[in-house]
Amino acid sequence: MTTKATEQKNNYLQFLLPAFIGLAVVYFIVLAKNALFPFILSAALAYIINPAITYFEVRGIKRSYAVIALYVVAGATLFLGVYLLVQFLSTELQSLQQTWPSYAERIQQFILNLNAKMVKNYPLLESVKLNEKFSHLLEAVPQVILTLLPALTLLFVVPFITFFMLAGGSGIMDYLLDHLPARNVEIVLHIASRIDASLGNYLRGILTEAFVIFLIAFFGLTMMELNYSAVIAILIGISSLVPYLGAMVGAVVSSIVAYLQFSSFVPIIRILLFFTGIRFFDDWFLQPYIMKKAVQLNPAIILLALMAGAELGGIWGVLFSIPVTCIIKEILQIAVELQETEFRWKPKPEPTRISIPYT
Amino acid sequence: MRLLDIFTHIYDEEILAKLGFLKTIRLFEGIRKRQLIHVLESLQPRTYLKGETIFTQGDIGRALFIVFSGKIALSRLAPATRKNEVIAEVNPGEFFGEMALLEEMPRTATAYALEETRVFMLFKIKLESLFFSRPQIGVIIAAQLAKIMSARLRAIIEKPE
Repeated sequence: MTTKATEQKNNYLQFLLPAFIGLAVVYFIVLAKNALFPFILSAALAYIINPAITYFEVRGIKRSYAVIALYVVAGATLFLGVYLLVQFLSTELQSLQQTWPSYAERIQQFILNLNAKMVKNYPLLESVKLNEKFSHLLEAVPQVILTLLPALTLLFVVPFITFFMLAGGSGIMDYLLDHLPARNVEIVLHIASRIDASLGNYLRGILTEAFVIFLIAFFGLTMMELNYSAVIAILIGISSLVPYLGAMVGAVVSSIVAYLQFSSFVPIIRILLFFTGIRFFDDWFLQPYIMKKAVQLNPAIILLALMAGAELGGIWGVLFSIPVTCIIKEILQIAVELQETEFRWKPKPEPTRISIPYT
Repeated sequence: MRLLDIFTHIYDEEILAKLGFLKTIRLFEGIRKRQLIHVLESLQPRTYLKGETIFTQGDIGRALFIVFSGKIALSRLAPATRKNEVIAEVNPGEFFGEMALLEEMPRTATAYALEETRVFMLFKIKLESLFFSRPQIGVIIAAQLAKIMSARLRAIIEKPE
């Protein structure tokens, strides 16, 4: 009896250290969540880049050399890309700087006219004071841009941390794995492989998708001779990381620029048709091909995830909402499956039985 | 000569040894060494200490285990005596638990390490993704798996009573 009681006590005691470490980690995350943010971004980046490093590693090249080579090549490409982009953008930005006051004035005039017309037809709208709200919005634009500046420091910090994460490889994971109770390794790795398969495919898929959309938008808008096509294409590319947003942002921004540039509705219709085309191309060709192995999420769930992400973490919350939803969905699916198999919620699956003997 | 030195620095001997090892595994017979790289990408290594249980009879199987070094014992509960009897020992280059790759059914034996053993695990989900992304490799593995299962079945039937 005493031995049994001691055994049970030991059973509970074995969970004391993991529980304490777990609680300490959670407490640390809560306290230092802002400091951890670059590390989360770096981990995400390292996770995305890792297959490229593994590609060389399994071909016999030492991991450290592969990481250095990748950084040198990526650095050179990025430098060249940024240099060309700055060259390209500087003329565009200069012209934007010169033309912005007149554009702003025209936008304001447009809104004023629209407001006047609407108030005339529907006097009730006077209480909304659309023109006042809009001028507030225009004033707020520089402020919003200023708030984005601290994010620029991430551009330097994140690649630095990512380098060490990539060079370290799966060291931490291997350590944790080696110290897991042996009998649980198979199930833990099974769960990890499933999350890795669906999340990895999703992240790599969405990045490829955003890049393809950026290229199409850039060439399409340049061919339509729209001003600031490079800036708009970059904006579309980045916003394509959030489902459904890319083409929508592109259509709205390009239409405004086209209206200001051409003062006619024909180019706007052309642009809207172009972005409708992109949307269909994305839905019918790009997504079925690129995302075929990724987690399939219902559009309603995507919308809920985006809204919850925005509420919890602002713009970064929106960016991370879909990958996090992928993980949650996969974990839920695995949890249900485990309930069914491990805890016998469902009767044991029957093995395939064939009456004809082996001949 | 100097150039060769650079290559020995760049190349990871451990990985090359693993690739050489995979070439000797029957399950991967017929796969070219260059293609074995994709198989290696799908494998998960882990070391088990002497006496550690890898899985128990009745657990749901999800992976195949290839012994890289060390020794594993497979034991089964004999219904008559209600005792665990060792039914086989698995040595380097051999593998066990392949039923998990075909159907997620309860394991028919318990596996534990007889000495410090390094294994490579091939999970069903990784094999499935290999089937779709590299069908040439997938076909060879599927054919080898069928041959091995057939050989094991034959061994049971031909076993003297």
